[in-house]
Amino acid sequence: MNISINKKIFSEAVHKASRFSERKTGTLPILSSILILSSDEGIKMRATNLEIGIDLKVEGESKSHGVAAVPATVLGQIAGSLSGDGNVTLEHTGELVSFNSGTGKSLIKTIPYEDFPSIPFPENPKNRIVLPGVLLQSLLSSIVSCASASTVRPELASVYLSVEGGVLTAVATDSFRLAEKKVPLSQKGTQGKFLIPAKNAADIAQTLPDEDVIVSFDEHQVAFVSTKGMIVSRLTNATYPDYRQIIPKESIVEASVLRKDFELALKRSSIFSDSFQKVKLTFDPKKNALSLYSRNADIGESTETLPAKVEGNALEISFNHHYLSAALGLTQAESLSFCAAGPGRPLIIKGLGDTSLLYLVSPMNQ
Amino acid sequence: MHTIVTGFKQIATVLLFPSQRIIQAMDRSNPRELWEYTLTQVELSISPANFNTWFRNSFIHKIGEDGVIYIGIPSQFFKDWYLKKFHTLLLKIFRDISFEFRNIEYVIVKDERRKAAPRETKSVPGAMELPLNEFYINKSDNLNPRYTFDTFVIGSFNSLAYAAAQAALEHPGIIYNPLFVYGDTGRGKTHLIQAIGNHFKKQYPGRKVYYLTSEKFTVDYTDSVQAGTANRFKDKYRQYDLLIMDDVQFLSKKEKTEEELFHLFNALHDANKQIIFSSDRSPAAIPDIAERLKGRLASGMTVDIGEPDPESRMAIIRKKSASHGILLSEEVVEYVATSVSGSIRELEGMVNSIICHAQARGSTPNISEVRQSIRSFMRPQKNISVKNVVDRVASFYGIDEESIYEKTRRREVVRPRQVIMYLLREDFSISYPTIGTKIGGRDHTTVIHSCEKIKKEIVVDNELAKEIQNIRTLLV
Repeated sequence: MNISINKKIFSEAVHKASRFSERKTGTLPILSSILILSSDEGIKMRATNLEIGIDLKVEGESKSHGVAAVPATVLGQIAGSLSGDGNVTLEHTGELVSFNSGTGKSLIKTIPYEDFPSIPFPENPKNRIVLPGVLLQSLLSSIVSCASASTVRPELASVYLSVEGGVLTAVATDSFRLAEKKVPLSQKGTQGKFLIPAKNAADIAQTLPDEDVIVSFDEHQVAFVSTKGMIVSRLTNATYPDYRQIIPKESIVEASVLRKDFELALKRSSIFSDSFQKVKLTFDPKKNALSLYSRNADIGESTETLPAKVEGNALEISFNHHYLSAALGLTQAESLSFCAAGPGRPLIIKGLGDTSLLYLVSPMNQ
Repeated sequence: MHTIVTGFKQIATVLLFPSQRIIQAMDRSNPRELWEYTLTQVELSISPANFNTWFRNSFIHKIGEDGVIYIGIPSQFFKDWYLKKFHTLLLKIFRDISFEFRNIEYVIVKDERRKAAPRETKSVPGAMELPLNEFYINKSDNLNPRYTFDTFVIGSFNSLAYAAAQAALEHPGIIYNPLFVYGDTGRGKTHLIQAIGNHFKKQYPGRKVYYLTSEKFTVDYTDSVQAGTANRFKDKYRQYDLLIMDDVQFLSKKEKTEEELFHLFNALHDANKQIIFSSDRSPAAIPDIAERLKGRLASGMTVDIGEPDPESRMAIIRKKSASHGILLSEEVVEYVATSVSGSIRELEGMVNSIICHAQARGSTPNISEVRQSIRSFMRPQKNISVKNVVDRVASFYGIDEESIYEKTRRREVVRPRQVIMYLLREDFSISYPTIGTKIGGRDHTTVIHSCEKIKKEIVVDNELAKEIQNIRTLLV
């Protein structure tokens, strides 16, 4: 194998592919490598940790065909230190790959590539939707932080995606808060739902190209195919709770505030929050105000009062401020609406004019 | 691949003697023993890194009756690789153990089943969890995991049913088959039979449980007849080791479904598979149901769940409130247990409402608060005097009590008078003529007119409805 790739393209490709290689030690060494292929189909990089895999097309010039598996960490460190324009060349001879960056030349030991696993493709690609990669990137990357970090309940450590009636709905919850985002699709027809492990969803969001992506899925896996390559992830094989049941149907008070007011007030209040990260929200319909109160025995206390449109009954309810600020990352709307169903019941946060988002956060014990 | 197989052969010959002995001592039908033995053999043939990567998370899912071994693996990545690299090796190991094993299939299994001992969840201090847990229903067996024996309160009223359930769990399909549980609505039938299902699942992991209502069975049957898949329907229900059918009384008059259940019953019963039914009345008392099915329903053990005694009711209240993390005082528990003589479901509703109020206030409720919060569950006491009602209503509207009895038609008096009549009729069921004579000797048609008028207005006039609600709380 003898290939030549532009430095920038090479760095980007290695950076993307190395996300998908195995980082744990003690497993098969081939899993922590990137497989570089050069064939009639062009140059490709592959990596997988058996949970998720990527098959990435890389633009470049191929002088002779061949295959080599190179440790991902080594390639990653080299790619991170490249500078300037020009090309790099990789030449595979025997057990070594000689890497030439124009100014320097290194010889890298390869790993026998025969053991590199095949990357499977969904058996029944009938379930498929097409949507712009940019949309999918922002959908997944914004929502994935709401999924559970613990793997005790695998379904909660996943992002739930459902396609129904021409709408793609993504849901993530760690049982303390829940985020639901919707994206309209251009074609209707397809129906289905699946759970992507949150860890994989984050990697997918970082790697997807901006252009149109075909998402196809079956019972056990999902594939994201574009002209730039393919990503395949296993699916969480578990049942997602019927989360719609916990969304309160009625509310006793609703408040709308300016996003930037709330953002700054919350930032200041969180300085004074106690070890439970508690911030108390007070809905005052008489004064048309929403106030935030926090108190820490060691630091002091603070009250922030925001002008707001408040309709309904007066209410005091406390939250973990991290869960409140997480809502800000989910919508770009200039005003936020807070809908409370009563003490001890979850609060709904929405962006005004942004119907795509529903954020549900559970209060703290009084 | 080639090297792996030859390598295995060499080692196998060396180990032939000891491994033969292990094979003989092993229980071939036990998936775990079989897999452990297989792993020891595989480990010899491949590198440790390979072994760790590919075999650590796999297990034998089940051994089919036709000699097919189903291996459970975590994802599609594994499936392709097993087929490509390990299929011949595994098949050879299985064949060496027994020629009964004909083939291997690979299935991708649920994440929950691969989980080892669960680790502690990271808990966020102070924050309450969204009640997601209550909304899982296991799709494969339809059981609601919330119903377990841990949350089941045993008292004298249901101890027989509980004992029968335990016996049936100990020797499923043999002692009490079928087990027929009946009792009035809200006595805990569904809880008991679902708890049996959940416990059965834990006790016998490999066996299949299915819970359904008779209504679901009917729908399923008619659907399958329409779709022309009646045979698949039969097979589906015959595969279960424990079948639980709730509310069989709804089968009455559905002859074809009854017949289907009759055949299903025979098939399961002959195979010593446990069947459990529940109904709101005893088999003999279910109307319009085929005699032969009736006889079969009653052929095993028939137990009834009676009305819960006060002690059991108190125990139920304590357990229910404790599960929500609230401790009620003895006084409160006793008050709630004795004040309403309804089903357990109503009792739970009351406890829920008390808990809701307690959470809203953020303190443990005392007796007077509880009285306040469960008022809506209670009918006002009937032995209240007419004078008392007149008194309270008059003072509510701020008018003189005497004016109610007078023949005046002043607006501010007419309305309260009508409200009084309405309340006396609706809440205290006093006859129209009696109301007439008590309220200043009026004709009973006047009373009827007043009651109807209020009844109509209450629907459209929110203010009035609120007033009457407030008066009602004053009257208790």
